[in-house]
Amino acid sequence: MRADRLPHIFCSGCGNGTVLNCTLNAVDQMGWKKEETVFVSGIGCSSRAPGYILADSLHTTHGRALAFATGIKMAKPELHVVVLTGDGDLAAIGGNHFIHACRRNIDLSVVCMNNMIYGMTGGQVSPTTPRTALSTTTPYGSAEPAFDLCELAIAAGANYVSRWTSFHVKELTRAILAGLRIPGLSFIEALSQCPTNFGKRNKFRQAMDQVEYFKTHGILIEKVQRLREEGKDIPPDAIVLGEMIRRNRPAMGVRK
Amino acid sequence: MRLVIDEKRCKGCDLCTMVCPYRIFQPGKRPNMRGIVVPELDRPERCPNTRLQALYGRTLCGMCQMICPDQAISWQEERPGEKRKVAIEF
Amino acid sequence: MQGNVACAEGALAAGCSFFGGYPITPSTEIAEHMALKLPKAGGVFLQMEDEIGSIAAVIGASWTGARAMTATSGPGFSLMMENIGFAAMTETPCVIVNVQRGGPSTGQPTMSGQADMLQCRFGSHGDYSIIALSPESVQEMYELSVMAFNLADRFRVPVFLMADEIIGHLRERIEIPDSVQRVERRPLNQGDLPFHPGEDLVPGFPRFGSGFKVHVTGLTHDERGYPCTTNPKVHEELVKRLVEKVESKRHEIADYRVTNPDAERVFVTYGSPSRSVEQVIHDNPGEEIGHLRFRVVWPFPEDALREFKDAKAFFVPEQNLGQIAREIERHTSVPVIRLPRFGGSLHTPEELTSALGAFK
Repeated sequence: MRADRLPHIFCSGCGNGTVLNCTLNAVDQMGWKKEETVFVSGIGCSSRAPGYILADSLHTTHGRALAFATGIKMAKPELHVVVLTGDGDLAAIGGNHFIHACRRNIDLSVVCMNNMIYGMTGGQVSPTTPRTALSTTTPYGSAEPAFDLCELAIAAGANYVSRWTSFHVKELTRAILAGLRIPGLSFIEALSQCPTNFGKRNKFRQAMDQVEYFKTHGILIEKVQRLREEGKDIPPDAIVLGEMIRRNRPAMGVRK
Repeated sequence: MRLVIDEKRCKGCDLCTMVCPYRIFQPGKRPNMRGIVVPELDRPERCPNTRLQALYGRTLCGMCQMICPDQAISWQEERPGEKRKVAIEF
Repeated sequence: MQGNVACAEGALAAGCSFFGGYPITPSTEIAEHMALKLPKAGGVFLQMEDEIGSIAAVIGASWTGARAMTATSGPGFSLMMENIGFAAMTETPCVIVNVQRGGPSTGQPTMSGQADMLQCRFGSHGDYSIIALSPESVQEMYELSVMAFNLADRFRVPVFLMADEIIGHLRERIEIPDSVQRVERRPLNQGDLPFHPGEDLVPGFPRFGSGFKVHVTGLTHDERGYPCTTNPKVHEELVKRLVEKVESKRHEIADYRVTNPDAERVFVTYGSPSRSVEQVIHDNPGEEIGHLRFRVVWPFPEDALREFKDAKAFFVPEQNLGQIAREIERHTSVPVIRLPRFGGSLHTPEELTSALGAFK
């Protein structure tokens, strides 16, 4: 961390700091040198994170982080490239770059801090905002169904896809670590709480309330599959967590 | 080792109070100089890291440090000669 | 050799090792030729998902120290604008070739135009400065392509090679030198702050992976590279420097060709209309017809106009409504006669001769 830049700009109780901890912990465990690791981000709350990391970092334009990262990784495969991004950045404005980065299966690790809202601009609806949730641009409840980013990444061809939350710090760290190890694009979605903009409008008055929700509503993918096989119902508000896919499609930009 | 909260970084979200298995972190009562209600530590010597981190050479548990969004929680070496409380659990 | 191919060959000679592009008429041959040659030369060719991604990948690659370029035309150029501003703000050297076609919008994909000249200078939001070159022949496609990389690295700015469809698809015999001159970017000195301007206002380049641990952001940043968005002084210093580092060197960057400096009637051109003017001068050997041809259009080399001390009128044939004519008007008291030409065809020598006659 760049100690001279702390405390960071994230609001009190924001999950992004937690996800950043987990990411850095995983990078540490990999033993990557600071000189050889590049963090890339776009625009938004999540994307401010690389500014606090003591390593080369590129804070780019809105939604384009993956395209910039593609350039870095392809031009210099020796570098380890980690992309920190958010739901609006990755799924809305950067959706095209996301599916194509997954399709190319470039050796990047993408950590998406999904807080289900546009936090930096004051709480507008995002593609991952759950249906009926309130935001400043959906004052009567969101009418649109939300994106499942993990399904999207799997369909587009990422080699490793996993979802955890800012409550499951150990599991999240392990997932990021697995993602860093695997050649090809690894996508780790980290649901994170936004007490300031999402929480206060959606009955999570404290940061803790939303984390508690993650804790109680999280359901492992294995359990979902078991329930499905048994023909039982899956609770509609369940958050499916765990490792969604791990495969070995041909990858680009892998360090030789 | 001593468990400390960096008051300059803490923003008082109280997430640590939720995850600590020993319930060492308790919601604070009084705002500090920056107007932030920093959690209070209830007998922090009970934290296994204060005794065992050096012995095992790694951070045990560490949930509070990992979940702290503000990187405010850490374990610091005590200065030589500093008084320390030892928790004895039965 | 075709103009577009010459451009690609020039880039390869200059040591370009990364090309990120997206097919668009009339620039596609550059991408095709790069796809053919770059992998064999140890470089990377990427066809990205769109032009936004192309320029983004180019900027990313440039930060690893590679000489990187992209090529496009009008609609793609418009898409690139945001990231061009990012390149200007973060002082990323990169080369963007725009083989101009008729616009606005999809316009005339297979016809020539020069209507992006102001867009390349002012297209992205905010104040910044760039360098733009304009070739008039296949030979110059090659030469200016090399020059573009050198200027980009020297000044750490996006450099535009503003060709047009006529030059891009023209086939001419060219001379390829055995080697070309290379001006590399100055590396950052150990211990210097990453965005500390040197004496010439251009900071040293802290390549990714060389241990500088630099934070590069499009936000207003201080000399450490850290965001500093609310301090008006930091913003003012940064933006003024971004403009000054190019504008204060306009004499050094300026590159133009002067014919008949004593003439009273002077053509001012860049790009393909220069060829018609050369034909006019060739056809009228007895008449004093001046010709000023810009190879560098931005930063605008206004001193070049003063080479023609006796000028009574500047004739500016352009494939647009007078974008550079307007700039010339700003710098001279001599009448400026705009000779716009539309639809993608070139000015005929007869047309230009009659314009000269009308002025008498």
